[in-house]
Amino acid sequence: MEVQKEAQRIMTLSVWKMYHSRMQRGGLRLHRSLQLSLVMRSARELYLSAKVEAQEPEVSSPPAKSPDPRLHPPREAETPAEVAPPDGEQPSPEPMDTQEEASGAQETSARGARLLAKVSRKRRSSSLSDGGDAGLVPSKKARLEEEEEEEGASSEVPARLLPAPAQAEGAFPNLARVLQRRFSGLLNCSPAAPPTAPPACEAPPACRPADSMLNVLVRAVVAF
Amino acid sequence: IFSFSFFFFLNNSFAPLVTIVGALQGNNSDIISTVEFNHTGELLATGDKGGRVVIFQREQESKNQIHRRGEYNVYSTFQSHEPEFDYLKSLEIEEKINKIRWLPQQNAAYFLLSTNDKTVKLWKVSERDKRPEGYNLKDEEGRLRDPATITTLRVPVLRPMDLMVEATPRRVFANAHTYHINSISVNSDYETYMSADDLRINLWNFEITNQSFNIVDIKPANMEELTEVITAAEFHPHHCNTFVYSSSKGTIRLCDMRASALCDRHTKFFEEPEDPSNRSFFSEIISSISDVKFSHSGRYIMTRDYLTVKVWDLNMENRPIETYQVHDYLRSKLCSLYENDCIFDKFECVWNGSDSVIMTGSYNNFFRMFDRNTKRDVTLEASRENSKPRAILKPRKVCVGGKRRKDEISVDSLDFSKKILHTAWHPSENIIAVAATNNLYIFQDKVN
Repeated sequence: MEVQKEAQRIMTLSVWKMYHSRMQRGGLRLHRSLQLSLVMRSARELYLSAKVEAQEPEVSSPPAKSPDPRLHPPREAETPAEVAPPDGEQPSPEPMDTQEEASGAQETSARGARLLAKVSRKRRSSSLSDGGDAGLVPSKKARLEEEEEEEGASSEVPARLLPAPAQAEGAFPNLARVLQRRFSGLLNCSPAAPPTAPPACEAPPACRPADSMLNVLVRAVVAF
Repeated sequence: IFSFSFFFFLNNSFAPLVTIVGALQGNNSDIISTVEFNHTGELLATGDKGGRVVIFQREQESKNQIHRRGEYNVYSTFQSHEPEFDYLKSLEIEEKINKIRWLPQQNAAYFLLSTNDKTVKLWKVSERDKRPEGYNLKDEEGRLRDPATITTLRVPVLRPMDLMVEATPRRVFANAHTYHINSISVNSDYETYMSADDLRINLWNFEITNQSFNIVDIKPANMEELTEVITAAEFHPHHCNTFVYSSSKGTIRLCDMRASALCDRHTKFFEEPEDPSNRSFFSEIISSISDVKFSHSGRYIMTRDYLTVKVWDLNMENRPIETYQVHDYLRSKLCSLYENDCIFDKFECVWNGSDSVIMTGSYNNFFRMFDRNTKRDVTLEASRENSKPRAILKPRKVCVGGKRRKDEISVDSLDFSKKILHTAWHPSENIIAVAATNNLYIFQDKVN
């Protein structure tokens, strides 16, 4: 239980750091982004394995990774009602679920998602259900992405043996695009499954909708 | 940059002295980002976040001023890099100097390479102590004379002038790196050098600025499959065909440029199997190597990751021969260190001239030295309070729990904003330079 919360907190923190690093002078740093995505992936795995343990207290399956000593071991007696909605009952992804009472973890996840989507609306506002990607993304970001596509062999490549740095920072705006796509789907509160199927995990299929937020976050970051 | 020098003990007797060299008020752009002695130790170069390079020169010993012997004074200051803007990517390119590397001296002038995230520059630092006087076509102020007024001819002569040290950019090696440059290394052939960014390493000839050879490329075809990046690279000190590069996964690859043009396939691969008992949430991050350095002998390499320094024998790839704990008490604090971004700090490490002692930095302005022979280690602090005249640096100790002794400092009292990332060791003497944020400390070991 605590493990799940902690894992979610770390994931949200990582997402925030990832976003924040884009704003830094010198641009996005590849090494830093990679490290953040690694932490996010670990947090996700920890979250999932803790969830599996919590939901099947009789099954003695050890977590995939031993948790950080700072994290408390999961208390098996508690049902994870706050954090993970019961199997398949709620179609919308759990951190963005406006019907849930706010738990700390959810609040921070929502905040993180909001930051990423550059949406300054309140979490429970009905305007969350506004459709369309365009509304979520300021035009400045769209221009950045367009520039990326035009880049080609932009910089003067001096060496005949050097590969053209055409990709350049192209990977990073992709992150924005991916996040924007994924989050717009989430914010639409669409009952449909997220755009990509989450990777296979040990959790029973019924857990998937609740995990889509995590899956989306991690996959989006890894996708950069 | 505030710097002063005094004496401390290493493992012998010592004589304490202190001299204050200079002081400047600090702001963000004064944060020192690299420190490097030249090959004789006569010069010490520092680069900072504002793109400036400051070179210190060691005072010659003189009978008149024995107490000032060996002191480093400012020799030259110049702006190496300016902030740039990449209009195509809408990205600012920081002017912060990531690395400085000296070339061996071949004539009266000094040459160094300095690099920011994208561009490497070769600087020539030379002295001028004479100037020509007695021109025919110009007057003493340099104004052109009316040719009609010239009735006689004279030969200009060189007259002494006040010493002037000038730095001129001789080469600019630009537009070769898509990602951020983390290392440069001068080859032992003194004709080539390499520059490494997150995914690629390029080989340059000093004379040619519009071309470079790509010798390592670990960029995957699909960036989504990226799992590791290059974190540091260095040429072997004697074998001009050999170099190593470290990765974010804690591995080191040794490459031989004779094997193929593109050294994507390593000759040796150094990796230590992970200790399962140490496995934690942040294992992957803290195993990332932040610095790799060949020993002067060329037989060993030293690597620094977040918590340890390791010495590897080039002949043994499966594990290091020595592992030193720098600040293992932080292992239980990794989550907090992740929150405040300290877990991403990139510490450097250095060998002493004889490869018997290694040094690296830590937090709270502490830095650590490990004697490889005696297995003794010491923690010292670079701070003005501790640096009184005629003072010896007192060993510090971090209390990891239980009863804290009088002079000890507890882990929770450590100041994580005071970090020593960059240090340098004189090539032949026990003189070290320690960069503590925007202050430079120079310490000497004086044996009676």
